[in-house]
Amino acid sequence: MPGTPASLNSDADERTAAERNAVERSAAERSAAERTDANHTDANHTDANHTDGDHTAGDRTDGNRTPGTAVTAESQQERGARFERDAMPLLDQLYAAALRMTRNPADAEDLVQETFLKAYAAFDSFREGTNLKAWLYRILTNTYINGYRRRQRQPIQQPTEDITDWQLAEAAEHTSTGLRSAEMDALDRLPDSDVKEALGRLPEDFRMAVYLADVEGFAYREIADIMGTPIGTVMSRLHRGRRQLRDLLTDTARERGLLRGESDVEVTS
Amino acid sequence: MSCGDPHETDCSEVLAEVWLYLDHECECERRELLRQHLDECSPCLARYGLEEQLKELLARKCGGDHAPEALRRRLRARIRTVMLEQTEVTVDRDEDGTTVEVRMRSTDLHEV
Repeated sequence: MPGTPASLNSDADERTAAERNAVERSAAERSAAERTDANHTDANHTDANHTDGDHTAGDRTDGNRTPGTAVTAESQQERGARFERDAMPLLDQLYAAALRMTRNPADAEDLVQETFLKAYAAFDSFREGTNLKAWLYRILTNTYINGYRRRQRQPIQQPTEDITDWQLAEAAEHTSTGLRSAEMDALDRLPDSDVKEALGRLPEDFRMAVYLADVEGFAYREIADIMGTPIGTVMSRLHRGRRQLRDLLTDTARERGLLRGESDVEVTS
Repeated sequence: MSCGDPHETDCSEVLAEVWLYLDHECECERRELLRQHLDECSPCLARYGLEEQLKELLARKCGGDHAPEALRRRLRARIRTVMLEQTEVTVDRDEDGTTVEVRMRSTDLHEV
């Protein structure tokens, strides 16, 4: 987020000037000394607010008397400690997701590092009590979409239009292509690396929807927020992603000799 | 796929919503109807069981990667650096009193 802090500062300067004028206009009855005090308190508050949010409450009331440096340094430390306590334990999970997104460890490391640095820089705006994991995933997804995907030059693999009648299609398909227990047993014997690779072969949007729902256990609403799409799109991606993944896994199981052939698979349960 | 017995909820409806049921995304009332159907109808229950297994298989086999220790260390070091760089404090004293100004320094996260 280059440039943002600078523009925040110029906003702050303008606002401080405006507040100063307002104070001067409305405080005509007050003494000059009091007015000066008010000005400085406001200035402290407005500027400090950009770095430390609510932590500067103390600064607000006695700005002239308390050295601002001590309060700020402590708040920075507090923020660091809070980040270490709440966000850092999610590093493994975010790294795993980044691996599924980028499909290679070097890019995954870069993506996660950028995500966590952005998260740290914006940690003031994160409201405690809301879902930190979902917040981090949103940053991860945005960072990926705005940077890595473009850099990797992956073509958009598939249009992701909403399919409103997919549930009907689903019901109709089951008579012929439903998953059978022999097939399921074969999939279960596949090594993790095969399953991860099959997931990696899904179109990106399907892959993330499936990952967020089935591995991370996010609700549809949360996935919609993370991916910035309507819930209907999430459902459609999930549905199609799961279907494709199942086919890919079945193919892999067949290649591995875990399923003997088409004819075995076609025996209905 | 149907067991042939009449149900309050049709088999095709249940199969269409099997993922919603599995993902806990149905309204309570609907969920109860589907659950009742699954109790009565063994083909639908079998189908549900397989989809459930697939979901569990993905959860079991696709997560669990650990971030490299080097990444963790590097990240902590970068955050410490950002913490130190981020704050710029100036203290001005004049006849009106003391002004303490705290600014965020512009830090380009992409550079390092």
